Amino acid sequence: MADVTLPSLGESVTEGIITRWMKNVGDVVERDEPLFEISTDKVDSELPSPAAGVLLKILANEGDTVGVGAVVAVIGELDGSTNAPTAPVADAPASSPIQAAATAPSATTSASASTDKGLVVSPVVRRILDGGGVDVRAVQGTGPGGSITRRDAEAAVANGPTDDVSIALTPGMRRMAQHMVDSVRTSPHGFVAVEVDASVFMELDAVGRTTTDGTPINDEALVALAAVRALAEFDFFNATVAGDDLIIHRTINLGFVRSLRPAGMLVPVVHAAGGLTLRAMAQRLHELSAHVESRQLTTDDLLGGTFSLLAAPTPSTLVAMPLLIQPNVAALSVGAVRHAPVVVERDGVETVEPGRRLVLGLSFDHRVADPVSAAKYLERVGELLAAIDVNAER
Amino acid sequence: MASESKQFDVVVIGGGPGGYAAALYAAAAGLSVALIERDKVGGTCLHRGCIPAKEFLETAHVLRTIEHAGAFGFTTSTPTVDFAVSQNRKNEVVDQLHKGLSGLLKGRKIEVLEGTGRLDANNSVSVLDGVDAGATLYGKNVILASGSVPRTLPGFEVDGTIILTSDEFLALSALPASAAVIGGGAIGCEFASMLSDMGSKVTIVEGLPSILAGCDTEVASVVQRSFKKRGIDIVTNAKVTGHTPTKSGTTLHLDGVDEVEVEMVIVSVGRRPRTEGLLGEATGVELDERGFVVADEYMRTAAPNVFAVGDVVAGTPQLAHVGFAEAIVAIKTILGEVTVPVNYDRVPWAIYTNPEVAFCGLTEAAAKERGYSVVVKKDPFAGNGRARIIGDTEGVVKIIAEKNADGTAGQLLGVHMAGPWVTEQLGAGYFAVNWEATASEAAALIQPHPSLSETFGETLLALAGRGLHVG
Repeated sequence: MADVTLPSLGESVTEGIITRWMKNVGDVVERDEPLFEISTDKVDSELPSPAAGVLLKILANEGDTVGVGAVVAVIGELDGSTNAPTAPVADAPASSPIQAAATAPSATTSASASTDKGLVVSPVVRRILDGGGVDVRAVQGTGPGGSITRRDAEAAVANGPTDDVSIALTPGMRRMAQHMVDSVRTSPHGFVAVEVDASVFMELDAVGRTTTDGTPINDEALVALAAVRALAEFDFFNATVAGDDLIIHRTINLGFVRSLRPAGMLVPVVHAAGGLTLRAMAQRLHELSAHVESRQLTTDDLLGGTFSLLAAPTPSTLVAMPLLIQPNVAALSVGAVRHAPVVVERDGVETVEPGRRLVLGLSFDHRVADPVSAAKYLERVGELLAAIDVNAER
Repeated sequence: MASESKQFDVVVIGGGPGGYAAALYAAAAGLSVALIERDKVGGTCLHRGCIPAKEFLETAHVLRTIEHAGAFGFTTSTPTVDFAVSQNRKNEVVDQLHKGLSGLLKGRKIEVLEGTGRLDANNSVSVLDGVDAGATLYGKNVILASGSVPRTLPGFEVDGTIILTSDEFLALSALPASAAVIGGGAIGCEFASMLSDMGSKVTIVEGLPSILAGCDTEVASVVQRSFKKRGIDIVTNAKVTGHTPTKSGTTLHLDGVDEVEVEMVIVSVGRRPRTEGLLGEATGVELDERGFVVADEYMRTAAPNVFAVGDVVAGTPQLAHVGFAEAIVAIKTILGEVTVPVNYDRVPWAIYTNPEVAFCGLTEAAAKERGYSVVVKKDPFAGNGRARIIGDTEGVVKIIAEKNADGTAGQLLGVHMAGPWVTEQLGAGYFAVNWEATASEAAALIQPHPSLSETFGETLLALAGRGLHVG
């Protein structure tokens, strides 16, 4: 028999919420097979089974908060020498995050009870409407004086619910909510966007979008490289406000915004991004993305960011305005690389040719930066982006 | 003239159930109210209708109890009745209720005027006769509740001795040895039942194919069978052509049927609206061809701020409790409150014959006529423990439900009862029908044991698909 304990989830994390059990009591589990999912105030992780065997007991239900080191399950040996479980100890069904407002103590329910004053609704009709999630005030009655008959109620229910739906925020959403509210409260946000030449992406397409050792290179990697290089000249954007001081970080830890489904976000960090080549940047980014996908990020992957980058959310996004990841003072936003007619001068003659353009945006903390410096930084990113020798660096 | 008129939020013409309910409900809401009554507050119901009739029927019930006492081991002699005492007791009951009502009206600061009220133009109301003759009032709202009076038959002049209507019958201090009741509706059947129980030889003369024409046929036939068993002659499809007074009464002539010799003829052929003198010039109130006041579902007449409630309203059941309900609808409408009009298809009906009849909702025939496919279940009181105990097993509960697509019973459309104390038992059925419960929803609720209401519960169970005792 082996106890399953909640392992250390990284620095400064002492507890987590069990969000999902992947196995039921009685299931056979392999060693290192994902067993449960834990959500901390930093990250959601899948945790592997420490041993092979049969899941005998689940000691912490979904939704329970457990401390690091706590025993959350017991794995028994497979040969049957241990008592097979007869009944699951904790078999609470996964609670749906979506509940009809009628069953939750929401504003809608109490409102319908108070505002239909004087309207006589039979208990049968009320039950039918409640069961169908239909607000009694939304039903046009055909009975005497417009009263709602059973038939009216059944027809209304057949048309689908009208009640508002209350959706419990996932731990990821709650983390995002908390961080964003804090960020807006802490930093007065300024935002500037500039358009830059993006012909470097044509070169990238020409040589192939992989490094020489086969790692994919995406738009984000290329811009990240230019952004990091430009930060050498604009170091006050790689900084933190501490009281009356601006702490300028010598190391550039570049955070990449990653959206989660259905909602929420993570900002995994490429640490010490200052001296990276294009190839190294592409590799680090590729690794990071893989970890996000497989939920193998550690808390350390999420800590220490000094500057962040938001890639184009969709292929047609001109530019998005990011909120600052605290305690950073700037966040770069990369628009989608667009095909565009570009004016080219050759031998004193201007012609229009197919080219690439890109909008870069910078959210900055207006306590310590201003639109001019932000725009200049972005222009410098554009210049350095154009200057990347893709073929040599890949 | 308007400056001399006393002004009220509500002036009610008529102090019967519709009128006094309107006055009480309006006063309870803080409105100033005047009530004009030409006779005594309480109206037909209290003085010449429901209450006296039920008191007499209870007299008959007491007699039946004495007659059955032997079966319980009591030795009794053949009871005799001094009907004058019975009449006095009825009067005492009525007087007590009248005093109670008068006190209630006074307590609510309702100005009660004695006389006949007449609505004139622009919501002016005059008192034509009586103690308060000559008074004029102005009502921001006027409620017409002048009620109804017994309809009479041509050739049957009411003299109070040989030819009577319910008005005179309920004032009798001695009962006839024989009587013919013309009209086999609720009122006629109640009188016939009571007279027969009290020992009179009774003939019911009904123009339609059966007595209690508005009732479900199976419920009506319970009463018909019981009546016949007790020796009441029932002549249906009858046409009364006249009568010839004799020394001891009169001879009733019927078309195509043997004439009937009786001491007394009670004419109970319905009630007509009492609207003579009710309306002055240019009131704007509309009457139908039979003289009833036309009102909408909120009891509004064709004239602004003039309402009508109770028996005087066209096309609604002439029942005291319907009058009460209409009064509440009218006052709530005056107050601007949300109100649900009376659903006339689903009001409770109660007939206090022996056996009693009570029902609510559609009869089986009416449901089919309206295009419903129905499921019907019946349970007789003969199998009911409590009915056996009280020795009163005549009767049946019949419930009609809408048939679901799968053939099961759905929403309850009608609950019909005949038998012991069914007028007191209807409540559950009334709620079930009006709350639009299905058979299974209503069947899931419990009736106490042993009780007469178990028959209702048993019928519901059967209707829901599986009965305990009934198939």
